[in-house]
Amino acid sequence: MSNTWYLYMFFAVALVLAGLIGLLLKRNLIKLFIAIEVVGKGVSLLLLSTGFAKGSILTAQALVVTYIVIEVSLVATALALIINVYRHGKSLDVRGLAKLKG
Amino acid sequence: MIFQTSLLIGLVIFSVLAILLRDLLKSAISLAVASLLLGIIFFRMKAPYAGVFEISVVAGLITVLFVLTIALTKTGDEVRESKLVNWVFPVVFVAFIVIDALVMKSLLGRVPALAPGAETGTFGDILWRGRTLDLVGQIAVILAGVFAVLALFRKDDKHE
Repeated sequence: MSNTWYLYMFFAVALVLAGLIGLLLKRNLIKLFIAIEVVGKGVSLLLLSTGFAKGSILTAQALVVTYIVIEVSLVATALALIINVYRHGKSLDVRGLAKLKG
Repeated sequence: MIFQTSLLIGLVIFSVLAILLRDLLKSAISLAVASLLLGIIFFRMKAPYAGVFEISVVAGLITVLFVLTIALTKTGDEVRESKLVNWVFPVVFVAFIVIDALVMKSLLGRVPALAPGAETGTFGDILWRGRTLDLVGQIAVILAGVFAVLALFRKDDKHE
């Protein structure tokens, strides 16, 4: 693979790591979801840069466009869930979710 | 190449800021800036459709959804983040970045080159004609999202 690919790979891994550390350390539900978004950015960067290095940018583009469309659906559902959790417990603390009782 | 690298560095910095910043609104905006930079990177990789989707949908629509959610959930208790985050996150992140750089340096030139892809036609051909069943799956996922949001916001008739 060309040397450029390793540069993109380095930054994609950095994004995924930043998101994963954020997921481990943060407690606010919206913050956790922002961390998931950052992981997704790293994955889409990796997909497209691999297509770029391999010379099949059109297939990579189709995959990234599909991923973005699915991501919007995911974001809408997750944010609706977060709003419902907030209405239920008046807090966005993820530790409060363990105390929910039917 | 230098411009592309600085775009990538900016992308990582704004993504880290989005996670680290205490104010939710500011972190949503830095996530949007990161998406914008990623979109420009896509444009420079000769992937204009992915860039347009990234900028219009991720930097635009998803940011609006985030800001709306932050506005709707504002009047609650402030979530008390662990005090460790402020120094554990940078330390662990820098350590992982160093490991990442070392791994990439040792991998340099070792990953076998993939066979060049035989792509013909336009982006439209690849997007619409090269795929069959996964389009149905994608439509199903979008419909599932729509129904999930409708179900989550339905009114309970008994209590009205």
